[in-house]
Amino acid sequence: MSAEHGRRMGRRGVLRTAAILAAGAPFATLRAEETPIRIGFPVPITGPYASEAADQVRAAEIAVAEFNQSGGLGGRRAELLVRDDKLDPGEAATRAIELIEKDRVDFIVGSLSASVQLAVNTVTKQRGVLYNSISQSDQIVSSPDWGPTTFHEAMTPHMTAGAVGRYAFEKLGKRVAYVAADYAYGHEMVAGFRAVGATMGAEELAEIKMPIGTRDFSTLMPRLQALRPDIVFLCNFGRDQQIFVKQAHDSGLKRTAHIVAPILLQTARIAGGAQAFAGVLGGTSYYWGIESEVASARAFNDRFRKAHDGRLPSDYGALGYSGVRAVLTAAAKAGSTETAKVAAVLAGMKYDFYKGPQFYRACDHQSVQSVFIIESKANGSVPEDVFNVLATVPGREDMLKTCAQEGLG
Amino acid sequence: MIAVFLTRAARHRALLAALFLLVLPFLLPFRATAVNVLIDGLFAVGFNLVYGYVGLLSFGHAALFGGGAYATGLALLRLGLPWYGALALGLVAGAGIAGVIGLLATRTRGIYFAMVTLALAECVYYLAYQASGVTGGENGLRGIVLTKIDLFGLDLDFVDPLTRYFVIATIVALALAALSRILASPFGAVMEMVRENEARARASGVDVRAVRVLAFVLSGAFSGLAGGLQALHLAIVPIETLDYGNSGMVVMMCLLGGAGTFFGPFIGALVFLLLQNLVALVSSHWQLPVGVVFMACVLFLPRGIWGQLARWRPA
Repeated sequence: MSAEHGRRMGRRGVLRTAAILAAGAPFATLRAEETPIRIGFPVPITGPYASEAADQVRAAEIAVAEFNQSGGLGGRRAELLVRDDKLDPGEAATRAIELIEKDRVDFIVGSLSASVQLAVNTVTKQRGVLYNSISQSDQIVSSPDWGPTTFHEAMTPHMTAGAVGRYAFEKLGKRVAYVAADYAYGHEMVAGFRAVGATMGAEELAEIKMPIGTRDFSTLMPRLQALRPDIVFLCNFGRDQQIFVKQAHDSGLKRTAHIVAPILLQTARIAGGAQAFAGVLGGTSYYWGIESEVASARAFNDRFRKAHDGRLPSDYGALGYSGVRAVLTAAAKAGSTETAKVAAVLAGMKYDFYKGPQFYRACDHQSVQSVFIIESKANGSVPEDVFNVLATVPGREDMLKTCAQEGLG
Repeated sequence: MIAVFLTRAARHRALLAALFLLVLPFLLPFRATAVNVLIDGLFAVGFNLVYGYVGLLSFGHAALFGGGAYATGLALLRLGLPWYGALALGLVAGAGIAGVIGLLATRTRGIYFAMVTLALAECVYYLAYQASGVTGGENGLRGIVLTKIDLFGLDLDFVDPLTRYFVIATIVALALAALSRILASPFGAVMEMVRENEARARASGVDVRAVRVLAFVLSGAFSGLAGGLQALHLAIVPIETLDYGNSGMVVMMCLLGGAGTFFGPFIGALVFLLLQNLVALVSSHWQLPVGVVFMACVLFLPRGIWGQLARWRPA
């Protein structure tokens, strides 16, 4: 095992290698038979999601290293070409075009925001390059954005809100209030909860939309407390979420109502602090703590720990691993890197890489996977020990919109 | 010596620009970046028309660029116009938005002009952000897929990097020739007159406000065209094209290259994009060296890279 992980490579190392390879690209034709399998990996290395992106790169490197150690594709090794998309769709589209035209990548995996992945997807679709997105979006698996080369390894907001909503309405109560960031993410999540709530007899007390970047929610607290909800669904992200949770803690709202966030990020929870977040519920695509029950999670965590100084992977980081590994596994199975052949293997492929069984639904290439319902801990043993897993909602096709609903019927 | 040479060369500036565009894709590591240089270069040149020649600092040019991009994208996507028609609509949209912003903003001057243009551009941003049914809102406008274009009976593959570059380069070269003509016209002289001495221009019978508005509209036309080209190039229009960051970027490019010079803004765009992209390839901390270069330019090249070069005389 130790020999396998002897070569440790940082993010900068990968970037540097990528630059050297790019400079040497004209000579690549001389040894065409050994051309490596190139995977473009545009992620926001700079900007507000930089820490998540760094984790995605770390995880993706593990998938590439594993593939190469297992002999690659008939001796062809894989390499990861990391690019900074700066969390900007225009930048991401340009990087994707360059990766395809100049670096001649076989596949693209990556991105970390809805708009950025849709930009990359437009570019790859136009040029017939296979793209596996590792960030949440409903549109990417819907008409008109979806294309035959589009795959979606991350969850969709619809399935996330559905799973979290069903759990919350069943266990925590029916009287609900929504606090949502006033943009696509917030609206989509509220719509997802409402759809579930309607089937379970939930009573909506209020929907409060707040502008993105709100720095003070304290005026909302008395109003929310007066409504006496069982659940406050908190459909915002990042710093807004941290501030709301802290003020809900200080004002005592947390004592009378459950606060439920559709997506609770490990990094946000670490940044926000244990005390403020204690008791906050949410959903996630992955939490390393499932390793006690899921063998593939244990194996992935162990490799990650070994390669990255004992760190533990985050939720979005782990998607970098499974996104890259899925594509490479399909290429190995197809015995080729041709887009059509790899796509044919991927569509319908069943796999268990890090979180239990998953499969790509054939009609829209959405990865059907389990959703974990988690609760924030008051104190943990290591910095990443932040959640208790309350329930595992196993992946089933009925959690997703039907392909007809997505306009792909 | 250099200055004398440059003065002579300036007579054929449109031709020189075209020659430069001809070799540019072979000098840069990435064709897609070369196309971005063309587009941002044209945008910076358009901005320079109001900032460099009339002396108005606009912080709202993203609205003109983004307006052109959305108009072109929507024309292709929803109206089904041919690509040249869509591009023309982008140009008109840029000029139209510039007309509205220009008429309102030229009532003020100095820092207030910058603030009013910024505020109006933010209005355009929120309009596009909220009208998500039409513009795609936060996710941007997607799916402007243009794989083939016909040019005077020629069927060109627009996905091919070099073809795409030369189609866009031709349009940019024509735009630069038009700009050169405008600057050489009496109106070009009047613009500089307004910048240098407003009172004197007024005394000479120049309608200063009309000149400013017209310059702003022309600038909008160039910016809108650049935006339209970006929509064709990237096949998407991100909401970020309307963001104030885009307005700031064009000011930066213009200052870096040299405001008030013909080639300066283009050089600025080239240096700006190259620095960002090449440094980002070798280090994730690309902002640091790029920032140092910008500071060095402000300290040692106050007239911008091209502006300083054009004035350089050996001691």
